[in-house]
Amino acid sequence: METYLWITSVWGVYLALAVFIVGIGLRIYQWATTPKSAVRLGMFPKPATKSGRFFKMLKDTFIAPHSAKIEPTMWLFSMIFHVAALAAFVGHLRILGEYPILPGLLGGEHAMNNFAAYAGSIAGTLMLVGVVFWIARRTFGPYKNLSVPEDYLLLALLFGVIIMGDHLRFVYGGFIHADTYQEWFKSLLAFKPMFPEKLLSGNVGWSLGTHMLFTDLLLMYFPFSKLVHTIGSFAANYVRSE
Amino acid sequence: MEKVQLETLTGVIDKKMNRQLKQYIDICARCAICKDACHQYVGTGDFKYLPARRAELIRQIYKKYFDKAGRFVPALYEAREPDDNLLDELYDSTYACTGCRRCMYYCPFSIDTAWILSVAKAILIAAGRGNEMLGQLADAAIFKGDNAAMFEGVMLSGFDDISEEVRAITGNPEHKVHVNKEGADVLYVALAGAHSIRPAAVIFEEAGENWTISMFEAANYGFFYGDTEKARIITKRYIDEAKRLGVKEIVVPECGHAYRVAEFFYEAWSKEPMPFKVSHILEKVDDYIKSGRIKVDRGKIAGKVTYHDPCQLGRNGGKFEQPRDIVKAVTSNFVDLTPNRAEQWCCGGGGGIVAMEEFKDVRLKSGIKKVEQLKASGASVLACPCENCRLQIEELNDVHGLGLEIWQVIDLVVAAMPLPGSQRSVEAAPAGEGANA
Ligand code: HEM
Ligand code: SF4
Ligand code: SF4
Repeated sequence: METYLWITSVWGVYLALAVFIVGIGLRIYQWATTPKSAVRLGMFPKPATKSGRFFKMLKDTFIAPHSAKIEPTMWLFSMIFHVAALAAFVGHLRILGEYPILPGLLGGEHAMNNFAAYAGSIAGTLMLVGVVFWIARRTFGPYKNLSVPEDYLLLALLFGVIIMGDHLRFVYGGFIHADTYQEWFKSLLAFKPMFPEKLLSGNVGWSLGTHMLFTDLLLMYFPFSKLVHTIGSFAANYVRSE
Repeated sequence: MEKVQLETLTGVIDKKMNRQLKQYIDICARCAICKDACHQYVGTGDFKYLPARRAELIRQIYKKYFDKAGRFVPALYEAREPDDNLLDELYDSTYACTGCRRCMYYCPFSIDTAWILSVAKAILIAAGRGNEMLGQLADAAIFKGDNAAMFEGVMLSGFDDISEEVRAITGNPEHKVHVNKEGADVLYVALAGAHSIRPAAVIFEEAGENWTISMFEAANYGFFYGDTEKARIITKRYIDEAKRLGVKEIVVPECGHAYRVAEFFYEAWSKEPMPFKVSHILEKVDDYIKSGRIKVDRGKIAGKVTYHDPCQLGRNGGKFEQPRDIVKAVTSNFVDLTPNRAEQWCCGGGGGIVAMEEFKDVRLKSGIKKVEQLKASGASVLACPCENCRLQIEELNDVHGLGLEIWQVIDLVVAAMPLPGSQRSVEAAPAGEGANA
């Protein structure tokens, strides 16, 4: 198990981050160095001022009000997924270091761990709901016809990440908290990788390793997939109002 | 596929590539949110008309030849070469697209599928598969422009006839269609056919506008065909004419794509700034009414009146209110369609599709949403400032027995003006007459 952890949760993480950062950098470089269309592609109504257009871009990107109007169900599940993913991301920041004020507000470390357990469980479940909906949607009709293997690969990886994350949360969440993961993750950042005893005893290592395996693969594939919409959507939605 | 032809086709993509296109191709989530935005997909249920599917064909070629990941694992993206199968489907889905950009309106990333399809048109043309009819119409327009002298006599006598009619309507012996008038403020670039000139002339003359008529047409089949060079040449004719006459403003007629070409595309095609303003005729008319330069009576038009936003004028041109204000000035019985303005359904007649017989079936089926909207409105009169829209809706009107009267907006205005002969213009065919198709 230790070997598995070293591959997935040390070397794999280094490799994945390197590929992710270089890949995203390249993608942005490609976009930035391709000349802009000479034709103005905006549509109406569009705000008259630059700042108006900027705020409309933010609204169109984060709220997608037009999509909500035409496909409310899809919009709802997509919102659920994306908001939960954002929450999960924010939650994961705890493995970099404890939040400054929050534990104090909640009444100590124990309460903070409890809060994290609730919030994480909700976010993890909602992400799962969103992804299962997306997978189900791609199994029939025009959605299936439009899908290419890339779509299923991404959803499979995502499903893996989430299922294993939820597994860690629901099975081990009661007695392994952020501080343990923090020891491991900070050692990675310091380039002195190690695993705390708690992660090596019992079976939690297999779960963490698998969570990280899916995460590594997703991160490595990210820059070469449609997930670059995370960045591109801002630019494209800005063009809408230009 | 032969190497030479393949290189030609991929060369087209290379040449046409720009930042927006690249982002559109890279980021589409294939979420299919655009599917119910497209009247053609909704009207036919045919997968090839799903907007993202149309773009997907370009993406497949792009992934195969331009994208590292796509070249590495083509199967992951269904990357493929532009073989006959692909080009056949591309032809159907590209030339059918009316360019309404309703899909872009609803897409969470505002992906402009019609813009992606402008690359598809360039590929098809390079593969010798451009639509023949649109190509011929574009060439005919270019020929006519090259040989303007040959057609001048016919046109001048046509303008004389229209001047007669204008005088009969306004009762003013001074009124006429001004031709080649240097120092005019406004150059009106009409469509072929008296119906596009007569009511405009009545309005300009009554408003005391310092105007002159263009010897060229505003319609642009080079644009529909997908050849920007042809489209540029066709437009350049009246741009040069406007420069020669020294006008301050070009006014385009009740035609959707003509407005978009003049206001949004020409500068990009010609790479030179335009030294004058471009207006749609309804902006002028709205202004004349509001400033009192022309008078209209509410109540001369019988029945409930509704208005259709042509996609190129509304969603893609931003002229939502002026036409409505005009219609509301001539009737107190106005009802809007639902949805309207930016969300207006495409009638199904844009993008040159009315000129292509082979798409008649999908065109009529794709009109179903418009038919439903029109029925639900309970209107008996439709005002619609686009020739292609009117041709399509006329046909839907017949097929579905809607019993609508379909009018140009400027005809409604003339009918509502307190003029001795304004009834004449009402009787003159409201739509389709002398169609440019
Ligand atoms: C910021 C604006 C964003 C918008 C407007 C947006 C929108 C969308 C939409 C419309 C889909 C399509 C769902 C489908 O595939 O059927 C999608 C999928 C997805 N998005 Fe986003 N997204 C955004 C940001 C992000 C971010 C920050 C992430 C990072 C985790 C992300 C991850 C995903 C994933 C994993 C999918 C699933 C792809 C699939 O279905 O195969 N998105 N997004
Ligand atoms: S709505 Fe936009 S992102 Fe979704 S499939 Fe259509 S074009 Fe792609
Ligand atoms: S531009 Fe209009 S016709 Fe073309 S794919 Fe989009 S919705 Fe359909």
